[in-house]
Formats: sequence, structure tokens, C-alpha cells
Amino acid sequence: MFAKPAIPFNRIVSAAFAATMATSALADGGTLTGYTSGYRTLNPAVQSGAATGAPGSQIFAGLVLVGKDYEIQPYLADSWTVADDALSVTFNLVDGATFHDGEPITSEDVKFSLEAVKANHPFGKAMFGKITEIDTPDPDTVVVHFSEPVPGFLYSLQPLLMPIIPEHIYGDGQELKTHPRNMENVVGSGPFRVVENNPAERLVLEKNPDFFIEGKPKLDRMVYPLVKDPLTRMLMLEKGDVDYAAFAGIRPTDWPRLERADGVEVTTDGYDAIGYVHYLELNLREKPFSDLAVRKALAHAIDTDFLAKVIFGGKTAAGTGPLHTGNPFYTADVEIYEPDLDLAAKMLDEAGYPVGADGKRFSFVLDVPSWAPQAHVPMAEYIQAQLAKIDIAVELRRAPDFGTWVKRIAAWDYDATMNGSFNYPDPIIGVHRHFDCDNIQNVIWSNTQGYCNPEMDKLLDAAAIETDPAKRMELYAQIQKLETEDLALIYMPQDFSVTVYRDDVKGLPDTPFGALAPFLDVTVGE
Amino acid sequence: MLQGTLNRLVNAAILLVAVLVLNFTLIHIAPGDPVEAIVGEMGGATPEMIAQMRAQYGLDQPFIVQIGTYLGNVLTGDLGMSTYYSRPVTGLIAERIGATLLLVVTALLVALILGTVLGVFSARKRRSVLSHLVTVIALAGFSAPVFWVGIMLILLLSVSIPLLPISGMTSSSADLTGIAHVLDVLHHLVLPALTLATIYLAFYSRLSRASMLEVLGSDYIRTARAKGLPQRMVIYKHALRNAILPVVTFAGLQFGQLISGAVLVETVFAWPGLGTLAFESILRRDTPTLLGILFFSSMMVVVMNLLTDVVYRLVDPRIQAR
Repeated sequence: MFAKPAIPFNRIVSAAFAATMATSALADGGTLTGYTSGYRTLNPAVQSGAATGAPGSQIFAGLVLVGKDYEIQPYLADSWTVADDALSVTFNLVDGATFHDGEPITSEDVKFSLEAVKANHPFGKAMFGKITEIDTPDPDTVVVHFSEPVPGFLYSLQPLLMPIIPEHIYGDGQELKTHPRNMENVVGSGPFRVVENNPAERLVLEKNPDFFIEGKPKLDRMVYPLVKDPLTRMLMLEKGDVDYAAFAGIRPTDWPRLERADGVEVTTDGYDAIGYVHYLELNLREKPFSDLAVRKALAHAIDTDFLAKVIFGGKTAAGTGPLHTGNPFYTADVEIYEPDLDLAAKMLDEAGYPVGADGKRFSFVLDVPSWAPQAHVPMAEYIQAQLAKIDIAVELRRAPDFGTWVKRIAAWDYDATMNGSFNYPDPIIGVHRHFDCDNIQNVIWSNTQGYCNPEMDKLLDAAAIETDPAKRMELYAQIQKLETEDLALIYMPQDFSVTVYRDDVKGLPDTPFGALAPFLDVTVGE
Repeated sequence: MLQGTLNRLVNAAILLVAVLVLNFTLIHIAPGDPVEAIVGEMGGATPEMIAQMRAQYGLDQPFIVQIGTYLGNVLTGDLGMSTYYSRPVTGLIAERIGATLLLVVTALLVALILGTVLGVFSARKRRSVLSHLVTVIALAGFSAPVFWVGIMLILLLSVSIPLLPISGMTSSSADLTGIAHVLDVLHHLVLPALTLATIYLAFYSRLSRASMLEVLGSDYIRTARAKGLPQRMVIYKHALRNAILPVVTFAGLQFGQLISGAVLVETVFAWPGLGTLAFESILRRDTPTLLGILFFSSMMVVVMNLLTDVVYRLVDPRIQAR
């Protein structure tokens, strides 16, 4: 392995090596080294996001997997039937599956897990709120009943959002969100089991020899050392100390540098289902942002294509609306605001915001969160510069830490903020929350901007229970169109989410969940 | 003597309680609470979940009740549960203190010995090229930001010349035991200790140089020289013993503040010590952990001040006589 950045000669040599290695058959096994930025729990039933989700999806199995093109595949459930009225689903579990401590995985555990996620996961209510009853006629059969159809139900059953957790461990009456077994002596159901969990140093997972799919997983071990410093991470990636890093958090300008390094690959694949979108959130409760004409003027002033192409080096797409371009319900047929500063200025004049005696139309404070600075800081600085051209004074306020920012936004005590959130494959989870009138709450990533349009509510309610895929598609098209007309949020370039990996890492999951899917076929080395 | 020590202990106890109250109040005033930070990390929550978590951590109680409960617990030796890890704070501190001690003591010893030697050397030949070189290195080490020194050392000693590991305290790929484990830790220790020592080294070489210059000019040195004592004897027996007092004071002070000194180095090198834990606890609004570490480090300062006194007496017998 060459430590120095590759020179062309090096590349030729390594290419020659790779060619000879490719002829020898790929053997099972190997150790995959990644890194983690730290996590408070390994149990995805009580926490969303990648820090817990990446290892969590390896430790716990789900009922199904989401394959390429969002096709639902069997996992712990080997088959299922949806009732004709769409008000119940019957699952049949695979035979002989066990938890890591040897106890069998039964229908009771599935029932327990569904109820645990419903009560404890931030999206529990959105995903499983309509479940009325769960029957377990025998240890291999689970029947879930709903009050209304839940068309996205199966999407929510992969391990990231619905891990199967052992009732005999977590059913002891202790609070699940702070259960000691979420971190110590974790007993999972997935392809890898925990052998070392030291939050100060590293997490080590090992192949589960009794996994219910014969011959899987192929890797022997996965090691996630704790590395928080972004520069240290970059050096480790470049040097090849890390085999695989999802959500690498690198800046777009680091991309060419990493590509020059020997044997390092960079990809943006595998983030479609997560659907990480960024947006400018304006507090709609007060003037000037309560005024739709002002929001439209802002949309004309901000050139998101420029941001995507220049600031992000063309490595990410400009967002057109609330849905990520990789989401199955995405449409590009929405209201588009062509970049036009003169038009923006004219609209502001007409809306009653002429340039005042001080040379300004109005001024506002734009909050910049402490997380994802590689995305939010350049976007905020661009917006500040761009709006200055139409005589709007923007003061940037960078949050010193996460808590400070969350407090401001959740208390609705802000003018505007850069923000972003995950779509997840079914919009009920990650999209509805931002636009539903009932979800205007003092909770971060709810409808904190205070948007309420009865017509939108009607569309959201209809889409939530529509079981005909074509009709549902049409409803989401209308929702996206309406959102861009109302500009409840102004969408920015989508997240530059990347995976950095060594070229001897093979068999990475080629699915919309990518980095957060179980690593059943991954191998390292020759 | 005994009376004096007793007074000091009582003062220290009062000081510690005052520090606790102050810390608790300051953290309480700061925006954001543990539940908001956790909810942010969870990716949102329902209002019912938030209310339930507030109640679980006692955050729904009035301030006076919260601080009363906390002080009561601390007096019985209970530092509370970490809101982030859901584990007792005392256990967390106990787990991390070893790594920090190893790092800081190594760096401090290296800096202390090397710094004193360099300081004495440059005081003796203060017009020489080498003396100027020591001054320049000391100034550079003193003014360079510690994280920058760390990254530069990584670039030099683990990227360009791949001798040392970039980060962590142990190799993650292998389960090592016994002597192999010790060697592995030492291998990982070199870079962070070197980085931290660079900063300390600057202090000690400047301090011992200045103090040595002062002592070398005093009458009793002239007397010693007049007696015909060899140069080495004059320097190391007569001069250094007196000149080293400020260095000892400083080392004591610095050791007391070991956590603050190590935060940045620990972060850059992913060293699993108390400094990183303190820093993370601030970001995570993990109040019990942060308060526990602050309490622990104020205790360290008090203890180190008492110990420094003892060392004074060993180095300079005149102090004991007084």
C-alpha cells in the first residue's frame, strides 16, 4: 500500500497489481475498517440517523429489505400477504432464526419490536400510528391490523427503521430509550454481533455464525474506530487506514484530492432512500416572510443551480421541491423560479418593500446550524451575498453548538435558518412532518416554520392512505407542485453525501439504502 | 504546620462546593438542555416523548430543587447518570482518566526534563547560536496552535514517513495482550505526547532559562565559584536547585489543569481521554457528565496545590523551617 499521494507511475503499477489479483478467486472473510463519530445507543428502535443506523442495520435484522428500484425483498419474513382491503398484512417468519444469545426469534418478538418502535422512535407515530392490533397466532406468523391503509408500511420494515429486538431482554419494564442494554451486552438479530463496544475508542462487530441466511455475511469483522476530527479523517482516508466511510462528510473540494490517492474510490450512490435535502427555512409567522411575494422574490434571487454547479462542483443536484430526486415519488414538474435579480427587486418593490433611506429594503438574521457545516456555511454565505445585491441585509449567526441551534428553532425564535432533513423512502416519514398543519410544534424538524394550508393537508391525508400506486404518485406530484407555489421551504442543492472506500472492498449493497443496508455480500481484499 | 494544613483543607472544601454551585448555575443558564440535544440527535420526537424524557431527568423540576438534589447526591459520592450514555458518571470518568493521565504525564515529564536541560544550557551560554536556536524553537512551540502542530506531525511522521499511527490509543485490527499491547499503546502514544510536549516544552525552557539567569547572577554563586568548585557542581548543585522552584510551581499548576490542556490534542488524535469526554459533553448538553468532570478537575487542582507544597519542601529545605 502506498502512503504517499499517487503519482501516475504508481497508478500504473497498482493497476497492474489489481489485474493480477482479479484473476485469483475472491475468498470470503476479511476485516472492514470504517470510522464512527460516536453514538449514544446501538438500538435503532429508539433513534434515527446514520450514527446509530449504520452499525444498527448490521446488528439487527428487519422483516424485509428494500432492493434496487425500491423492490421489497424477504429478510426475516420469508413471505407476506396484504389483505384485499389493505387493512391487514400477514407475515410468515423464516424458520430457525435466532438472536445472538441463541434464543429463537418468534412472532412475539416482532410484535414487541413494532410496539417498541411505535412508542419510542421519533418516526414511530408517523410509520405505525395506524396499527390497531397485532396478532400472533403461532410463533412463525404475525398479522398486523390497521385502522386505515398504510401504503408505505413495507418500506418502513427494513432494519434501519424497524429492527427486530429481543423481548426477553428489553421487555423487562425498563424505559427503552435509556435501557442499559442499548449499549452494553447488546443482543441483536442481524448478520453481525457486537464483540467490543467502547464508545471512547471503537466498536467491533463480528460475523454472526448462526445467521439465518446460509453463507452470509461474508465479512469476518467490522471495526469502527472513533474519529471525530475531520482533518484526521481525511488523512486516514487518503492514507488508506480506512476501508470504508459512509456519510464521509468531506467537502466537494476534497473529492479530487481523494481520487488522486492510490486505491481510493468515491461515490454518491446509496443515498436515494435516505434522501438528504437542504433548505432555507423562513419563519412564516412574521413579516416580511409571511408575505408570499417576498418568498417568491427570494426564490428568484437565489440561483440553486449555480450553488450546485459552482459551490458543490456539480457533484450534487439542485433540489426542486420537498422530495429528493432519488425518491420514487419525485417529480420535476413543479413551479420553477428562474434566477433573475431584477425581477426579484421589482417583486419586492411591488410587495411594499422598497429600498429605504438607509439603502436597505429590510434585514434579517440567518441562523447557520453547527451540523453539516460543509454544506450550510457556503450556502448561507452565498445567500447573504446574493440578497445584498437586491438590498436585503442578512446577518449570519453561526450556532456554537447543536443545542443552541435546536433551542432557537424549536422555540420558533428565529427569522430564518439553513436546515436539512431526511426524506426516507416513504414521504409519510420525512416529508409530511414539515407541512402538516397539525405538526406545527415546538419540536425540531416538525413544521417549525408554521406553514398551514388546508388544501395541502387534504392532499397529505389522501396520499397517506392511497393504496393505488399511480394515484398516490399523482397526489405527491400535486403536493410537490403546491409546496413550490407556496414556498413553505425554499429548497437548496441536495446534500453532497458520499461514501469513500478502498478499491478492494467489493459487494457493497447496490440499493437505495446503500450505506445503511446490511453488508451481506461485502468482502475486503483478495 | 498541622493547623495550616487543616485550614487549607477546610478552605478547599468550601471552594469545591462554591465551584459546584457556580458550574451548575452557569450550565443551567446556557441555552439548550440535554433533552433538546438528544432529540436533535434522535432526529426529532413527539411532544409527549419530550415531556416524558424531561421528567425522567428531573428537568421539569424548579431550579432550586434540581441544584439541591444534585448537591445532595454529590455529597454522598454520586455524580449522577450521564444523559447521553445512560451510565453513571463516576464510571465514565474512571474509564477515561487512565488515558489522559498517561498522555499528560508522559508529555509533562518529557517537557519538564528536556525543557529544564535546554533552559539551563541556554542560560549558561546565552550568546551561543544554540541558545538562540532554543529560544526560537521555544517561541515557535509557544505560539503555534496545538491542533496545527498535531496535524503537521501527522503529515510528517505518519503520512510522509509512515512510522506512527494517525489516531487512537490501540490498533483496532488486532486483539493484543501483554507486552504486545503495551508496545502498541506506546506506539500510539508517541505522536500525541510529542505534540503536547512541544507546547509544554516552550514554557519550561523559557522559565528555567530566566530563573537560571537570575540565580547565576547572585552572590552565593560567586562565592561558590570563588571557592574553586568545579563548574558542573556550581550549576547543578548550587544554581539549579534554587532555579527550579518556579518550574515546579508551574508543573504543579499545569498538572492540575491537565484536562483543559489535553482537550485539543485528544480530539485531533482521537485519544480516548477525559478531555474529549468533557468537550463532547458540552456539545451534547450532557450536564451530569460535564459537572462531574469539572468537579473532578477542581479536585485535581486542589490536590495538586497541596502536593506542590510538599515538593517545595523537598527541593528547598528552608521552606520547611519556616
